[in-house]
Amino acid sequence: MVSLRRRFSPIEAAPARLPADHAPDAGLAFPGLDPEWSRLVRAKTDDGARTFHVLDTGPALAARGIAPTGTILAVHGNPTWSYLWRSVLSASLERATDGAAWRVIAPDQLDMGFSERLAHPVAPAPDAPSYRQLQTRLGDLDALMDALDVDTSTLVTLGHDWGGVISLGWAVRQRGQVDAAITLNTAVDHPTAEPVPAALRAAMAPAALPAATVTTDAFLRVTLGLAEETLPAAAREAYRAPYTSRSGRGGIGGFVADIPALSSHGSRACLQEISAGLSEWDKPTLLLWGPKDPVFQDRYLADLQARVPHADLHRFEGAGHMLVEDRDIAAPLFTWLEDQFGESAMRESRRSPEPAGTILGLHEQLTALSTSARRSEAAVVDMTAEPEAWSTAEDAATGNRALSWEELARQVDALAVGLRATGVRRGDRVSLLVQPGNSLTVILYACLRLGAVAVVADAGLGVRGMTRAVRSARPDWVIGAQPGLTLARSLGWPGQRISAQRLSARRQRLLDTVASVESLLSRHEGETPENEPQPGADDPAAVLFTSGSTGPAKGVVYTHARLGALVALLVEQFHIRPGASLIAGFAPFALLGPAIGATSVTPEMSVTKPATLTATAVADAALAGEASMFFGSPAALRNVVATAAELSGLQRRALGEISLVLSAGAPVHPDLLNAVQRVFPVAEIHTPYGMTEGLLQADIERREVLDAMTTAQPGVCVGSAVRGVRFALAPLDSTGVPAEELVDPADAVGVLGEIVVSAAHLKAGYDRLWFTDRISRRDTHDGLLWHRTNDIGHFDAESRLWIEGRLQHVLTTAAGPIGPGTVETPVDALPEVARSAAVPVGPQGTQAVVVIVEPESESTSERFPLREGRSPVAEVSFAARVRAAVPEIQIAAVLVLEELPTDVRHNSKIDRTGLAGWAERVLAGEKVGTP
Amino acid sequence: MTRFIEPGAHVLVTGASGLLGRSVAQRLAAEGYAVTVLQRGTSALEGVDEIRGSLADPAAVARATQGQDAVIHMAAKVSVSGPHEDFVEVNVRGTERLLDAAQASGVTDFLHVSSPSVAHAGASLIGAGAGPADPRGAVGSYAQTKAQAELIAEARGASGLNVLILRPHLVWGPGDGQLTSRIIERARSGRMPILGSGAALVDTLYIDNAVDAFVAGLRRLPEIAGQRLVLTNGEPRPIGELITGIAAAGGAPAPRLRLAPGLAKAAGAVVERLWALSERVSGPRADEPPMTKFLAEQLSTAHWFDQRATQQALDWTPRISVDEGLARLREHIQRTGSVL
Repeated sequence: MVSLRRRFSPIEAAPARLPADHAPDAGLAFPGLDPEWSRLVRAKTDDGARTFHVLDTGPALAARGIAPTGTILAVHGNPTWSYLWRSVLSASLERATDGAAWRVIAPDQLDMGFSERLAHPVAPAPDAPSYRQLQTRLGDLDALMDALDVDTSTLVTLGHDWGGVISLGWAVRQRGQVDAAITLNTAVDHPTAEPVPAALRAAMAPAALPAATVTTDAFLRVTLGLAEETLPAAAREAYRAPYTSRSGRGGIGGFVADIPALSSHGSRACLQEISAGLSEWDKPTLLLWGPKDPVFQDRYLADLQARVPHADLHRFEGAGHMLVEDRDIAAPLFTWLEDQFGESAMRESRRSPEPAGTILGLHEQLTALSTSARRSEAAVVDMTAEPEAWSTAEDAATGNRALSWEELARQVDALAVGLRATGVRRGDRVSLLVQPGNSLTVILYACLRLGAVAVVADAGLGVRGMTRAVRSARPDWVIGAQPGLTLARSLGWPGQRISAQRLSARRQRLLDTVASVESLLSRHEGETPENEPQPGADDPAAVLFTSGSTGPAKGVVYTHARLGALVALLVEQFHIRPGASLIAGFAPFALLGPAIGATSVTPEMSVTKPATLTATAVADAALAGEASMFFGSPAALRNVVATAAELSGLQRRALGEISLVLSAGAPVHPDLLNAVQRVFPVAEIHTPYGMTEGLLQADIERREVLDAMTTAQPGVCVGSAVRGVRFALAPLDSTGVPAEELVDPADAVGVLGEIVVSAAHLKAGYDRLWFTDRISRRDTHDGLLWHRTNDIGHFDAESRLWIEGRLQHVLTTAAGPIGPGTVETPVDALPEVARSAAVPVGPQGTQAVVVIVEPESESTSERFPLREGRSPVAEVSFAARVRAAVPEIQIAAVLVLEELPTDVRHNSKIDRTGLAGWAERVLAGEKVGTP
Repeated sequence: MTRFIEPGAHVLVTGASGLLGRSVAQRLAAEGYAVTVLQRGTSALEGVDEIRGSLADPAAVARATQGQDAVIHMAAKVSVSGPHEDFVEVNVRGTERLLDAAQASGVTDFLHVSSPSVAHAGASLIGAGAGPADPRGAVGSYAQTKAQAELIAEARGASGLNVLILRPHLVWGPGDGQLTSRIIERARSGRMPILGSGAALVDTLYIDNAVDAFVAGLRRLPEIAGQRLVLTNGEPRPIGELITGIAAAGGAPAPRLRLAPGLAKAAGAVVERLWALSERVSGPRADEPPMTKFLAEQLSTAHWFDQRATQQALDWTPRISVDEGLARLREHIQRTGSVL
């Protein structure tokens, strides 16, 4: 600690240099940096002429005879330099040859990078003389842009870290010239009452600041260490090059000292000017964000979004402070610029096909039924083990867990008023951490009534997945039962907390809750939210999450109109009439019951484990709710079939009343369908096709499935488009890449491709994933708004869709691309196979096909082993039977695994990516291990 | 102007005493090529001119290349043991002599037969291409000297000779006294091990497909000279399954002996040293060591290749699948009582 108190020996001024002149003998290469971009520019700053090192693609464009279509001014932060932007510079030049040509200007800030070094007689400290402050740095940019004589007809700013603040501040000041702003992780405001992030606090402590930033290169090292994957040594060296000596690091200390954490700080006024100016900013804005940043945390992103609500945001899950090193930001950046300034005006005029029926408001049926003759009939019946949070002891004891339409409507109204009084406003996001059941239904419809956006991160994502999902959606409120709230509290999920049950004062403090649903219901009983405006059709209603089986779960935004279109479709497709009653073994449909006008019965089961749903639980639900329909997942159906022997006569008769069984979430094997039919003897068994981004796209009944099977096509037949849905196909090329041009199903019979859909009930968009959304909806075929599903398959001559797997799971063999379903369907039909996965090993375009089989339990017997000893390689005659089942495709190896790994939510989507990795290891001759 | 080497052309085939050389020479003769064979013993082939001699004898080599249009150079010392110098003499110097003689007698096209092992050390090969030969990285005298020879042949491509390099991988089938008969023999006596899980994917080449590919390669040589092509059935299979299949074709039970790959490699290295020692003491041995480090690697790591470039260049696809090949092998053994 002695060194900290040592007297600061002055730093001398030093001229600007070119990176190429830096230690040429040391062989430092600056990978990715073209010396052609480097130049020194003298500019008249506020305190005299100074020399800047600038990366500038202007001369390179001029040398190629290309006139720039616009200019990007890219400002680095602390302690990086313009090297940070090398990927943007090189991508701009690549694109310039056949697209818009953006000139990129990336200066090294003064006292930073290879720009001029200032003399510092004293140590860096807040407002210490000789160190550059925010105000002056804005002036530096003015001077530099004057000196460079830039054509400002189209000008965009780009920034990162404190370069984000400076670039945004400059944009606000020069709003007459600047046409758009882009920033990576930054912060334009910090409430002085709140502590600065711990990661910065250490470096900012006055006693430590000079040592952490100038005397040593600790701050620099820590920052470079924030990259998701360790930076290559050469890149790390390049970042460090201008800062290897103490005399080069004055600016680093100056930057840290210039963070206006206290209200007395000299740069505070300027920062406030910037943050206030941003609140008025109305130009196009793009935020590219790495959420794993210990300094610029999500709360600063929330502040930016509040100031610039129209900003487009892409939040790169898993990336951090060094986003530009962690991910390709050039592709989203230039695509966005093209959308803003290019000639693709087409995108906005696209429409969805007409919905299947009249779009209903989500409360319309509920309101109508609550005042109709049916008002005292059950609207929701909850068979889950826990009695409702606010049900009376009497109700709980008698097991009466039904709410009539009238009761449901009254509770929804009362809670809407109560939530509004608590502070929940239209547009607020509300995370729902309550198990499916009556209480969740009441809370959901109260939120919808207020125009609050329900964030439904279901427990099926697992704790880590839920944490990621909730953080990404950044709810303003969390309404939860105790387990959910405890999780939210201990994992630091954002949002003010409201408990479902009334809590003791001690628990309220412990869980930090501001209200409880139970007390709001009793306090506001009988009140109606009549003064609250109804939400608009295009207002967001809900954020659902994908299952995350192909990457981090994505938030999917639905508007009221798009959910209303889904409701209309369900009513139409399944002929649901008032008075209908459904057993909801599949959550998304359960929540729509009141909107559909059907009684919804939640059977007793664990949501996280759909495979725990038993036949008796379904039958009891059917009896309690006089149900005529059952919605379930394939895993739930499998267990219902497996436990059917436990049914009593009465229960059997109840299932005999069911007229419709729906299985959603993943394809179902015909054998299972037949078994389901035996449990529900008079029911039509439908296996609709859909996704989180569009819950119902195609539909087929069991007998039609069996019919289709006789045509022996690859994959699983999921039927024809339901009303209001248009399908198109993007054929795959030999490397498994789908075409950009779409074709109509009739023009591509039997062709393998990515399935693309258009419908009024599709997602409104992905949440905070601007680029993902942009990619998914890039097609313009027939002037419609499309969604790329990532599913692959083909259409047959009867316009039926056959799903053959996921785009990520395509096997690109030397004979062309094939979908895993092409192999799995015939293999699954073998008597000794329970299910199978076809995965590729080897390089794209010449992959070998590997079939991994999960045996039927009876075929693992000692007498007929499917494999030899402990080796996973199939026994030779069994391998021959598998190969014979798919004669047209070469199968390199058949492996046997006791149980194929699956996703948590549906317990039915096979983890093919994990299996492929395992197969690759096993078939390389490595130790077998587990997938 | 596409030039093909059509029937009627004069072709020298070296190493016609082996299965592949014999079969190729026979097929070419049957198709109407004027075939000369060069080997130390008699070939007992019909319809071909025969020159008896060794690659060590410049006069014999000069005589053999006289008047030829093309050469298929298959002769090599193929073994997993033996003094390194012997490999150099045959594989490196022999190749050089043949190339010298061929160029001196005006031969225009040279098909050099090599091996995938020239480009790879012990690591797994998964959908691999045909990289340049690497004598330093290659494992064992055979692969090292074949790598040197390939580089020498390739270099002659720059001095006016059309050179095509084909690298067949693990040729098997009826008549194969190397791989096929040894697997069956050992499996019959219970001495054929399967290393590890036996799951390593391995490419092989059925003999008839190999012959087709060589004829196609010779015919198209002027068009595709300068290329290196690995030659396989394009049907990788788990090594355990292949061994079991070949053993079964010979009526042998499925190998039950399983060894850990690390153990086998270590044991192989020891055996190799013992063999070398015994040869130093009592002269060359007629048999091969039961396990070598090279063999252990071959039997326990993946070895399969990208065949797209090969099939396109040769305009050839394998006619006989692995399963069909196994059926033919079984039929052959049942009919003749032997692999050979």
